[in-house]
Amino acid sequence: MNVRRRTQRVQMMATLWSIVIALFMLAPLYWLIATSLKSPAAIGAFPPQAVPNPVSLHNYARAFAYYHFQIYMRNSVIVSVGATILVLAFGSMAGYSLGRLPVRGKHGIMVALLMISVFPEIAVISPLFMLMRTLGWLNSYQALIIPYTAFNLPFAIWILRNYFLVIPREMEEVARIDGASALRTLVQIILPQATPGLFTAGVFTFTAAWTEFLMALTFNSSPAFRTIPVGIALFGAQFVVPYGTIFAASTVAVVPIAILVLVFRRSVVSGLTQGAVKG
Amino acid sequence: MGTPNPLEPELTNHASRPEKKSPGIRRRLARQGWAFALPALTIIAAITIFPILYSIIVSLNHITFTSQGYHFHWVGLHNYSVIFSNPLYRYSLFFTVIYTVVTVFIELVAGLLIALVLDKLIAGRGLMLAVLLLPWSLITVISAEMWNYIYNGVYGVLNALLIGIGILHTPVVWLGRPLIAIVSMMFADIWKTTPFVAIILLAGLQMIPHELYEAAEIDGANGSARFWRITFPLLRPTIALSVLFRVLQAFGIFDLPFVLTQGGPGHATESLALLGWQVMFQDLNMGRGAAIAASTTLIVLFASLLVLRAFRAQVGEEDLG
Repeated sequence: MNVRRRTQRVQMMATLWSIVIALFMLAPLYWLIATSLKSPAAIGAFPPQAVPNPVSLHNYARAFAYYHFQIYMRNSVIVSVGATILVLAFGSMAGYSLGRLPVRGKHGIMVALLMISVFPEIAVISPLFMLMRTLGWLNSYQALIIPYTAFNLPFAIWILRNYFLVIPREMEEVARIDGASALRTLVQIILPQATPGLFTAGVFTFTAAWTEFLMALTFNSSPAFRTIPVGIALFGAQFVVPYGTIFAASTVAVVPIAILVLVFRRSVVSGLTQGAVKG
Repeated sequence: MGTPNPLEPELTNHASRPEKKSPGIRRRLARQGWAFALPALTIIAAITIFPILYSIIVSLNHITFTSQGYHFHWVGLHNYSVIFSNPLYRYSLFFTVIYTVVTVFIELVAGLLIALVLDKLIAGRGLMLAVLLLPWSLITVISAEMWNYIYNGVYGVLNALLIGIGILHTPVVWLGRPLIAIVSMMFADIWKTTPFVAIILLAGLQMIPHELYEAAEIDGANGSARFWRITFPLLRPTIALSVLFRVLQAFGIFDLPFVLTQGGPGHATESLALLGWQVMFQDLNMGRGAAIAASTTLIVLFASLLVLRAFRAQVGEEDLG
């Protein structure tokens, strides 16, 4: 009985603290969304309104009609989807090769991939900028799709290889005896068994590309090729920060990625914890 | 991985059976293996390995740009000797180190506390994970704009709240003075990245076998003894890797100061990455900027070794499975 009462008390404390943690995490986000729905006069009011009254869509109209936020959204979608497709295609081929095929030196390659992810982006930005400029690629989609692919491939290869490793060999051998090519074996036999890995690698690449700022700012600064983070960071004039517009645009940018992450919650958590936790 | 095998269900448990193949087939498979790995390895080499090496060459030159392209003028270690004697670079290095140590330490403690709470929680843990993933997936630029508005000295909600409950009497300009601006920026970073640490540590906590706690309880170990004798030692590899990830990110911090403070007030929140970027793309001094970036990289590599040594985590061989 004593034990039971103690477990109940532990549960109550855990629930209470969880509510405090959740409020702390959600309050700033509430403020972002609430501000986006306020009228221009209410945004600069002090003390601020806790709840937008009246609710106004003025900021949303302005973000799209005046600041052309739809261009930044289109660019972000093209770049993120492009990088995700390339990462999944090349990542599963490389993961299959390094996990299942008798390639010499694959151990060294896997370690090298791990080490590459240690380098900060700032380390490669100047040579990449010079390369992009020489190729005439500044302000183009490939200027971001190719670097995003490269930076997310190591993680995708690791994740996919781990999934491929546990798929039974016999299935491949049957396919091989049937005369299937390696590519067909990968697409028809291996990949369907590794869909959780594909989701994890896909969601991580998409999120990374959707949120990346340094390269997007450096390579694609012209308004026609800005992605969402660059667009939002460079909104407005020198002296006026149009918070209403910024938060309306931010809300629109946050919702799709939040839904994606929440739907694929398990993939994201398993991706975050792979590598950090063994077993 | 629970998908049933449509071809040979009875063989699914023999994943590790070694293959016996003729040398001819083996050679063909090895060729295919290289062909399969080639696209990924080429892109990675071209966009990461090559630039890392090339940036060292850039940092040893003075670079000028004309319509014919880039011109290299060899200056040896000149760029490095200039930056190391520059007060702003020294401050920036100092700031970045302090910033990394303080934020990562607080995130580790707060993340561990959150993980311990969620580990005890039975109902609603999935919901809490969802809540924790929201700040993690937020675009840093948006988070920075959000905190900029919350901290606003004229109409910011933080001042309204603190005046409302009587802690403050007059509004504070949170980003206006160096020390307060640094603390405010740290707080914004801690809000966004603690969830990442908490999720990783929670997964680590759940790997610890329950029997250990039961045995300790029978032996009469109290709560703090159980934490320091069981939880903490068994969690150490997980802590090491989460600290490592965070140190790597915090040391290269760019987005947050770029938007929140522009490195100010003055240069109070000028991180190494921000300084390097400004030297490269605003002062248009590629060589010197590359020297700053290269020194940052070296320090990051050194710091990661230090973290791994401090926690004596075993990474490498056994992670390769």
